[in-house]
Parts: sequence; structure tokens; C-alpha cells
Amino acid sequence: MKRYVVVWFALLAIVAVEVVVTLAHPPTGLLLAGLLLLAGIEAGLGLLYFMHLKYERRSFMWSVILAVVIAVVLMDHFWLDAFRLLHQRISAP
Amino acid sequence: MAELTAVHEPSPFAVPSRKLGIWMFIVADAATFAALLFAYGYVRVANPDWTHPFAFWPSIANGIVMTVVLLTSSLTVIAAVLAAQAGRKAAALRWLGATMLLGTLFAALHLREWVSMLGAGWRPFRNPLGGTPLVGATFFSVTGLHLLHVLVGVIVLAVIALGYRRGRFDADHLETTGLYWHFVDLVWMFVFPLIYLLNMR
Repeated sequence: MKRYVVVWFALLAIVAVEVVVTLAHPPTGLLLAGLLLLAGIEAGLGLLYFMHLKYERRSFMWSVILAVVIAVVLMDHFWLDAFRLLHQRISAP
Repeated sequence: MAELTAVHEPSPFAVPSRKLGIWMFIVADAATFAALLFAYGYVRVANPDWTHPFAFWPSIANGIVMTVVLLTSSLTVIAAVLAAQAGRKAAALRWLGATMLLGTLFAALHLREWVSMLGAGWRPFRNPLGGTPLVGATFFSVTGLHLLHVLVGVIVLAVIALGYRRGRFDADHLETTGLYWHFVDLVWMFVFPLIYLLNMR
């Protein structure tokens, strides 16, 4: 149980860092990158320890992780269109 | 007459079928949430007049409390599974009860946030601050789907706890339900920073 409590404290600490970073009001792109990185670390800790992926067979662990990663990567194709819309927008008078 | 014999192949992942089933659900559900968050990212990038509706007090502070509550519920569900695996039935039921209580508290805090936003004039397709109405649409759809998962999780935990008390379910059932509960927690690890923190005034 001690190991899980340590992970729980680590997750709480990461949430605190997220809030502190947000309160520093960095540029939006930098804030997004930082928050995604921290959320990714939290997800990794949750998957490996709370969901026990660390203790499953490696083949199973990578099958699960790769399935989600591939789905997420495939969703990235529309960002160009979002930026196209952003640049096409006519400024409000 | 030819004799039929069953062939039992070992699982390539060494994972029981019930656990494999919940993992397949989790992978599919993760893709669902990812699609919703990507859609939110798309409309946000494409709308330079995006509204930042959340002040630190009360919205972000409420979100921090919700996050702590949900993270703690992940710890209590682990305690329930460990107790069940050790054969400590009463302790497992107590920890399951604590998890359900925390899940209900999370849902109550979430609904309080929703009521506050609805009171301020926010609707899924109306922005009272004058910017794009997609702010409300993305907020209510992403947090709504997550809230639905929490509520379903609390109900499933109650059903599993009752079955476990009556001897119908065992520690494996608790572990499988715990995996779902951790997943709900994990999704919130993305929803809180992307929907709340990134939209702080």
C-alpha cells in the first residue's frame, strides 16, 4: 500500500505544479505544452502503478499503450485545417 | 464417431478474459475521450476570440478539490482490492464504500459547477460573455461525458459491493471494476488542465 500512497502524493504534487504554472500566466502555447507534459506523466504513473500495467506482460503493456498512441496520432491530421481557419478569419471591426 | 476435444490455448498476454475485456473497453473509451479533446482543441485553435470563463475562485479552486477527491478515490479503490485479495471482506467493503462516497462527492462538486455556470447564462450553445458559443459546447460535452462515467462507476461499484458481500463476486471482480475507476481518474488528469486551467482568466 505504501507504494500506492507515494504515487498518490506524486500525482497530487503534479496537480499542484500544474496550478502554479497556470497562475504564472505563461504564453498559451507554452502553457499547453507544459500541461500536456505533466498530464502525460500523471497518466503514465496511473497506468503503470494504479492500473498495474508495470506488472503485466510487456507484450500486453505495449499492445495497450500503442493502441491508444496510434489512435491519438491518427487524430492529428486535422490541425492544419484548424490553423487554416484561424488565418482565414477576418478581424472584427 | 469422431471424438471432440476442447483445445485450451494459453492466453498470449497471460491476462484473464474479464481483465482483457475491461482493458479493451478502456482503450476504446480512451480513443473516445481523445476524439472529444481533439475536437475541443480544433475549435479552440480555429477561434481566436475564445472566451476564458474560469476565475481561480470559485471554478479553479473547485476543480482542484474535485481532482484531489478523485485521486483519493483511486487510492481507496486500491485499498479495497488489496483487502479483498487478502480475504479481508469487511475492510474491502469499507474501502468500496469510501470510494463510492468520494465518487458521489466528485459528482456533487461537478454538478455545483454546472449549476453555477448555467446560472451565469452558459448553455451548450450560448456564451453569455459574447465570444464563440463553442466554449459551452465543448465544456458541457467533455465534462458531461466524464461525469456520466463517474456516475456509472459509482453505480457499478455499488452493484459489485453488494455482490461481493453476498459472495457472488470475488477480488477479481473488484480489480476489474477498479481498473475502470482508475481510467475515469486518468481521463480527469487531462480534462482538468485542458478544460479548466487552460481556460483560466
